[in-house]
Amino acid sequence: MKTNRVLWTVLTVLIVTSLMISACGSSATPEPAPAATTAPVATEAPAAPAATEAPAAQPAQPAEAMMGPDGRASYAGLDMDLTGHTIRMANIGGSPYETMYDQIKLFEEKTGAKVETVFLGDGFQIDRYLKENYAAGTVDFDVAWNHTSFMSQYAPFVEDLNQYFTPEELAAFSAPIIKAATIDGALQLIPRHADISALHYRTDLFGDADLQAAFEAEYGYPLAPPTTIEQMQQMAEFFVAQGVVDYGTEFAGKEEALAGRFYELLVANGGNYFDENFEPVFDSDAGKMTAQWMKDLYEAGAIPSDTPNLLWPEVAQNFCDDKVAFYLEWYGWYSYFQDPASCKVAGHFDLARGPVGAAGDIHTGWAGAHAFSIPKAAENKEGAAQLIKFLTSEEIAYEEAARGSLPVRDDVWARIIADAAASDVPLDKTRLELAQLQVGTDFFTPPLFADWISFTNLWYPTLQSIILGDMTVEEGLTEAVDQTRQMMDEAGYYQ
Amino acid sequence: MTDIQTTETPIAPAGQTAKRTRGEFYRRQSRFPLMLIAPAVIIILVVVAYPMIYSLYLSFTPYNLLRPEKTLVFSVDTMFRNYGKLLGDRIFWRSVGNTVIFLAVTVNLSYFIALGLSQLMALVSRGQGIMRTLLMIPMMFAPVLVGFQFAWFFNATVGLVNNALIALHVIQSPKPWLIDVPSGMISIMIATIWMNIPMLTIILLAGTLSLPREVFEAAEMDGAHAWQKFRHITMPLLRPFTLIALTVLSLDIARAYDIVRIMTGGGPAHRTEMIWTYAGRLATRDSQYGLASAMSMVGVVLGVVFTLYLFRQLIKSRVVY
Repeated sequence: MKTNRVLWTVLTVLIVTSLMISACGSSATPEPAPAATTAPVATEAPAAPAATEAPAAQPAQPAEAMMGPDGRASYAGLDMDLTGHTIRMANIGGSPYETMYDQIKLFEEKTGAKVETVFLGDGFQIDRYLKENYAAGTVDFDVAWNHTSFMSQYAPFVEDLNQYFTPEELAAFSAPIIKAATIDGALQLIPRHADISALHYRTDLFGDADLQAAFEAEYGYPLAPPTTIEQMQQMAEFFVAQGVVDYGTEFAGKEEALAGRFYELLVANGGNYFDENFEPVFDSDAGKMTAQWMKDLYEAGAIPSDTPNLLWPEVAQNFCDDKVAFYLEWYGWYSYFQDPASCKVAGHFDLARGPVGAAGDIHTGWAGAHAFSIPKAAENKEGAAQLIKFLTSEEIAYEEAARGSLPVRDDVWARIIADAAASDVPLDKTRLELAQLQVGTDFFTPPLFADWISFTNLWYPTLQSIILGDMTVEEGLTEAVDQTRQMMDEAGYYQ
Repeated sequence: MTDIQTTETPIAPAGQTAKRTRGEFYRRQSRFPLMLIAPAVIIILVVVAYPMIYSLYLSFTPYNLLRPEKTLVFSVDTMFRNYGKLLGDRIFWRSVGNTVIFLAVTVNLSYFIALGLSQLMALVSRGQGIMRTLLMIPMMFAPVLVGFQFAWFFNATVGLVNNALIALHVIQSPKPWLIDVPSGMISIMIATIWMNIPMLTIILLAGTLSLPREVFEAAEMDGAHAWQKFRHITMPLLRPFTLIALTVLSLDIARAYDIVRIMTGGGPAHRTEMIWTYAGRLATRDSQYGLASAMSMVGVVLGVVFTLYLFRQLIKSRVVY
């Protein structure tokens, strides 16, 4: 018995000790760590070579390491010996994004660095992961995903990238995006690829002589891809009434996807979410007009009845399946839509510039850019900068653009448009020219403030209520504006 | 056996020495079980008690992930601000109401269906083992998978239900089951009932099979028919089993999150919002950990009160029978 008691005592002590050690080692509940924002140097791991020491002292790689297949210097970030460095990355996952990461092998081979991925998740998962780690001071990555729509949240936690990129290096990127990514003079991110919505429409429907005649007889103007928001509604209802499609048009009906789509229509109608003092002003006439437009489309059955449950993949699938006449969609789906093995719509769709609204001269242009940042608490900032230079270099960006993404570098635009000119499909080239026009002229980001995502989460359920008829347009907008003002007040925007 | 008797129950001499020896024995006896449960208690303290206490603390602060340093501030003047906000929040009350309705309907329907199934299965003399195994299949699926499965069933565009009804000419155009009121809530209830019936049935079946045959035989001799036997013998004798099953089921359903999150996300327009989906939305999406913690605390208090009530009923049933 005595032996048993001793055994139990020892076991209990061991368990308690191990639990205490594990509890001390990692905090189960996030706690703020000032070091994450105020003293990043303190988090450097002594075992790893100091990021700022090793690279500068090491010889540069041979010049051929920077050369692209055509002999041009199209890679970047390979000119430092990073042997012994480990660079950790928290990034966006999913098939459209992950192909690029295969190229990291080349970076590792040429620089000697080891790149580890500590997290991959979709846009909302990576956003949550980053926010939790930034707030808790548990940053264990050197390269972090970023996005122009999300970057304001991370602004206190990421480095000003002007310190790591020369003006010449930055000049290679699209100037409007670099400008949009700068908050109070600090460059938040280096863009990877951009996206903006274009009007995708079915050429078989718009080219149908019978439909053209019927439309002109009813509405008094020719049937052509809509150039105004008002025309979108008329044509959507027309196509459904003719019974040639399931839905005239569509849009993603929840989360930031809905709030963002509303935003670009609101801007095109001459409104905005906030004024210059961050007072919510979307209960304006433009706001009412935009909300009414969405509600009318739903009531008329011109958009899918399950719109409030749809996100990007579902709306794309509807167009892919020939169920929709036209809608605003990102360029990134192009390869998928053009593949007859995947989509019925392959070969009979075209793209057009986003429509204008009541403002008359503002096209829809809600846009964004996926990007990379360096956390202030990163252990290996120089290594991270080198990896970002590599991942956003001309060659990598070109390869990514060749798969359908819109580039953010002028040199890559020139190359992919030249490539597309040789294609048998004219749309391969015209879509790129259209995209370049849109990115250069229509590109606008959501309001740049940290609570953008919180605001969209507050607003979109009310907008759903309006669309579904649970609230009138006036009731919904008034309530949403009141709630937004309260949220902004609590967040300290009016102090 | 002999050793144990020798060491554990010494023959004590009369007087003080005997009392002391007995006292030490009882002290040792009472310490040993404590040591046995100590690891479990410590783990519970670390993974349940500490986060709950920390969450309670957060509920008294305006903690926001976007401004951690500025918002992790405790002030006596504003400590109940989150709770005040919840009381005035229309969506909070809607989520409480939805949770209560969801709980009441799902638990009761699950119970009646499971009761019927268990009584039918108790009558089966051959192949009962196979039937029990088949019945337990839904228990093998994670709630998340059940959510995906039923979300697809009720999907407006490609869902099984709409396609079947259109093919049978019951409806002409797809119905958005997960959008409309009340079909959105009903869809989630169906998924939850489907998942919970097996567990409930197995418990009630075990209870039914363990009931004494003599009582039924006596009733038959007195001329009782099937319904009378079920109403006046089976149901009362099954009451302890019923209460245990309903307690477990109610607590499980009251913390509904995964199936709802997958099928509707609490939407659209908060139509299917439950307490935990709303708390999750506030915390993980809106970054308002302080407010979400306050809501979680309200949920925990409601859960504890509900559990105490159910256990009291359970104890009562044991006293009576």
